[in-house]
Amino acid sequence: MLDMSSRLALLAPEMFLFGAAVVLSILGLSRSRSRRALVGPLAILSLVIAGVLSIVTFDLQKAESAGLLLPSLAMWLRPMVAFIAAGLMAISGDFVDQSLEASIAKSAAAFSPLRAVRGEFCAFALFSVTGVMLLATATDLIWLFLALELVSLPTYVMVAIARGDRPGLEAAVKYFFLGAMATGFLLYGFALLYGATGTMQLDDLRDIALAQLATGESSLLLVTGIVLSIVGLCFKITAVPMHFYAPDVYEGAPLPVTAFLSFIPKVAGFTALILLLSCIGLGTTGLPRSVVAVLWMMSLLTMTLGNIGALLQHSMKRTMAYSSIAHSGYMLVALVAGSHDAIDALLFYLFAYGVTTTATFGGLACIQRAGLDADRFEDLAGLRRTHPWATAMIALGALSFTGIPPLLGFFGKFWILVSAFEAGQVVLVGAVVLNSVVSAWYYLRFAATPIITEPAGRSSDVGQNTSRWPVAASIVFGCALVVLPVFVGPLMKSVQESTAAPVVVVETPLRQR
Amino acid sequence: MTPMLALVSSDVTTAVVDGAAFSWLGWTLALPAISAVLCTLCALLKVPGKLPAMLTVASLGASFALVLQFYQQMPATPITIHLAEWMSFSWGPTDFHALQAPLALYIDRLTVFWMLFVTGLGTLIALYASEYMEADVKSGYARFFAGVSIFLFSMTALVMGGNLLLLYLGWEGVGLASYLLIGYYYTRPAAVAAAKKAFIVNRIGDLGLALGLFLTWRCYGTIEFSELFSRIASAPSNAPWDEALIPYLFMLGAFGKSAQIPLYVWLPDAMEGPTPVSALIHAATMVTAGVYLIARMYPIFLVQPDALVVVAWVGGSTALLAATIGMAQFDLKRVWAYSTISQLGYMFLGLGVGTTFGACYHTFTHAFFKALLFLTAGAVMHGFAGQLDLRHLSGLRRVPGFRLVSWLALLGCLWLAAIPFSAAYFSKDTILATALGSDRADFRFLGWMGLFTAGLTAYYTFRIWFRVFAGPVHFVPGNDSHDADHAHAKFHPHGPRWAIRLPLILIAIGAVLSGLPGYIETFAHKENWAQWMIAGSSAVEGAGLSHGGHAEHADHGHLVLGMDAHKAASLLSGILGAIGIGIAFWIHLARRSAADSIRRTIEHTPLIGWIPRAAERKWYVDEVYHAAFRMPLWMTAHVLHFIDKHIVDAGVVDGIGRAPASLGRVFRPLYGGALQSYAVTMAGGIGLILVWLVWNWVRGVH
Repeated sequence: MLDMSSRLALLAPEMFLFGAAVVLSILGLSRSRSRRALVGPLAILSLVIAGVLSIVTFDLQKAESAGLLLPSLAMWLRPMVAFIAAGLMAISGDFVDQSLEASIAKSAAAFSPLRAVRGEFCAFALFSVTGVMLLATATDLIWLFLALELVSLPTYVMVAIARGDRPGLEAAVKYFFLGAMATGFLLYGFALLYGATGTMQLDDLRDIALAQLATGESSLLLVTGIVLSIVGLCFKITAVPMHFYAPDVYEGAPLPVTAFLSFIPKVAGFTALILLLSCIGLGTTGLPRSVVAVLWMMSLLTMTLGNIGALLQHSMKRTMAYSSIAHSGYMLVALVAGSHDAIDALLFYLFAYGVTTTATFGGLACIQRAGLDADRFEDLAGLRRTHPWATAMIALGALSFTGIPPLLGFFGKFWILVSAFEAGQVVLVGAVVLNSVVSAWYYLRFAATPIITEPAGRSSDVGQNTSRWPVAASIVFGCALVVLPVFVGPLMKSVQESTAAPVVVVETPLRQR
Repeated sequence: MTPMLALVSSDVTTAVVDGAAFSWLGWTLALPAISAVLCTLCALLKVPGKLPAMLTVASLGASFALVLQFYQQMPATPITIHLAEWMSFSWGPTDFHALQAPLALYIDRLTVFWMLFVTGLGTLIALYASEYMEADVKSGYARFFAGVSIFLFSMTALVMGGNLLLLYLGWEGVGLASYLLIGYYYTRPAAVAAAKKAFIVNRIGDLGLALGLFLTWRCYGTIEFSELFSRIASAPSNAPWDEALIPYLFMLGAFGKSAQIPLYVWLPDAMEGPTPVSALIHAATMVTAGVYLIARMYPIFLVQPDALVVVAWVGGSTALLAATIGMAQFDLKRVWAYSTISQLGYMFLGLGVGTTFGACYHTFTHAFFKALLFLTAGAVMHGFAGQLDLRHLSGLRRVPGFRLVSWLALLGCLWLAAIPFSAAYFSKDTILATALGSDRADFRFLGWMGLFTAGLTAYYTFRIWFRVFAGPVHFVPGNDSHDADHAHAKFHPHGPRWAIRLPLILIAIGAVLSGLPGYIETFAHKENWAQWMIAGSSAVEGAGLSHGGHAEHADHGHLVLGMDAHKAASLLSGILGAIGIGIAFWIHLARRSAADSIRRTIEHTPLIGWIPRAAERKWYVDEVYHAAFRMPLWMTAHVLHFIDKHIVDAGVVDGIGRAPASLGRVFRPLYGGALQSYAVTMAGGIGLILVWLVWNWVRGVH
């Protein structure tokens, strides 16, 4: 079953990324400034290459023989993550050590390997992306857990070292400890799952779990294990009740890292959720009622608390944190719906969310305040004149977040709503719609402040980001928001192909009317 | 298949053929889009020179060539060309649980008919604009052509789209382009206000179209034309409320876009845009979208014949009302704007009384001669520094450089006045004859009203020509001096160069040729080409259902004054037109002082003294709308603002704002940002979930 060579062939992109990360961490310590300057662009390049590799080298037969739960999931997930991560890398790569490099350029400081962290930062980012990509090919609980940790651990470090100031360190410590706690719950859940089914292999686990559920005497152990795992993963996706850390950590981390945090761990969490829940009937027989109830409650609370919390913020990063909570709530709706369509909708939503995030954060990263983030809404005032492109992209991103047609975000939301409607979750559909209306209030602040408000005196200390990469990434992804809806048909098709069911043991009709 | 072969099979079947072989027609859609992107790039990169104009003209010309090429090998049946997958959602087993909207084109002869003049005129007008807008080469030149390209792209999507959603997107796109181009001179408050007005008034109509789209899907389970038409034909028309509502909603959309009562008020103001825009968008193409919509959706209208009565009445009334206002305006472009509204009214009258052929043919002829009239007006405006007031222009026929313009304007005026054997004579009389020959008394009344309006049209048209182009030479230049020397030296009107002259001549030729089908029908007794085009489309396909008689049967309809309707309409409209021209000649050329004295006499006659003033003020419709809609809305807004500020904000919001603060005091240990409190809260949340789970387990709910 576990044919090692075919298994390794499947992992070519991950292995490439790992190698690239090692090279970058060494390159970052080079004494030559021009060589160190290559780190950011090379990180972007290696992510793009990994994305291409994951398309080119993917072999469905090998994936099926490796015993994956959703053999072609990697076909959609890995390129998507790699390409969006390339955009996120463009935002954050040059940010790290920017002031240090500037003062070295002015000969105001000497290079010291102890202080230069850009190489490490980029390497950690690539490790984290590697983790997400590995998730797509997880076959057992151990693999799943290790991949998840590979996603999370580097992000703790990234928050800490990106700027190395007090708020960053505080955020990193909070993030780390709470993350460790959540991991504890996750592991406990896995342990219970093992206890209930006696296997670590996901496909065996699915067969046993489905058999147990089908006989009607579903064991409390199994459901508790699943629920604990869900709750543990809620930390990654910033969902109730594990969402508390998000505003503090997002605010404490530098803006480019916030962008990274709001996408990469979320994809990891949702992928793991899809895999785990597939073991108990997601997309096939339907989830057990108690699990649906838990997810239903979480989803409703997550989107509502997220949106209400975002209304009262003055900090853009905090607003984005709450917005990211709210979007997790929308995505949980797809899991509540639980149909095969819903998984597709969720995967598509993740894509739309990632593109929108990159476009928006890239635009926001065009300004900064002497070594800090320009994080107040007032700082955006007058951006229209100084950064017309970034302004346009922020506005597009904000509208796409809100779900205004014909932008990409609309299609993500629409698909989720359609699948929820199909599953009869009318209350949640109504909740998503109402929440979207509420969210318009704060998203429109992002869109309107740069255009309408004139700068007041106090924002005069807002300076420009010397790196052009963030705005470039923002423009690429912002244009994608407009252009991709034209190709929404082929995109949806490729998502659907990526979740095409493998040989399912318990075959029951999809639609229970 | 050659057109000849297609001609033989004139009984068009409803079978829709897959037109994969014609997928190159997708370039008609792609070319203007590419041009729009390139022009936007030019605007952003501040490319100097006329490159954007060349790009636009080239891409539009290529589109036109493609349409011509398709026309050469047009199949007899409607075809759908599937370009790509687009939207495909399904949430259940039936069609009513799915939404399919691929990127597809639906091409029948109606589509081709429309595309021929949309792309053809678009090319010529873009060429015209390349010279007309040259004063802006350094500022908004690329922006202008980007707008024109967006417009053509959207219009193509509107006309060729294979489903209602594409049509709707095109519909919104042309609205956007119209907004951008009316507000082209965005530093002028009047232009900005006009752009806003056009956009907002159009929104009302667009809402109707959107609701119509939703209801169509709800009733028929599809929005793809190929499916839709067969389902309408096969479905029993027992007309529940929602099905009955569809045509009225589409009608609302059409009235908004095509400037009919009650939504016509935006079009005259839209003349604030550059003249080529007025010619292209607000005379020849975009405003015909409403006519196209109703013609395209005609099967739905035929299921609800009452809806067509409303269309006829609105069209007839708009024609009359706009003509009366047009008689009293002094601004050249405004008169043409009102005449556009009036002529569009005729088209809707035609649709309403059942002659889709007459309506579409009139759209076709009108597109040419109205574009010609606007472009000659533009040439005058261009040459006389923005002067358009017919009180300050006279005898341009004798001004050097304007001879050609004057004669072409005369041609346009003759065509607009529908003198016998002009193109509009054939097209308009088809409409009037059908109305006069109808079985319904109210349609016959509308026919007489249309005849009267035709007389008014002839009058106001020639009022312009005799005032501006004939008579003694006299002019006062306007305020926009293009060139620096105009400002100081004595004003010299500059005649247009080739890029203006060539399109004018070509459009004039087109205007003449557009009468050709009418000639052939009248004198050679062959089938009218336009009729052949319309008959092979959705516009007449279902005509057999309820309206038995159409233009071709009008001869057998009611007798009018002892003649058949066709003869009567031709004769009467000829006579009334001659009277109108005669009056215009008398008081605007032969004895201009008479015009003033007549006006003075009328104004001093007690009972009718208010009429000329009211007509000049457009019957106070804007004022009435202001009082009836804007003021109440404005007042409501202020009341709501007051409530919001002093009650909602002061009481509720601040109250809620205080509530978290007081709650915060209670929960401060949890929310203080301290790590431990977060951990405790999270663990508490998990604990609650687990307790709930176990409790349910104990109760036996799994």
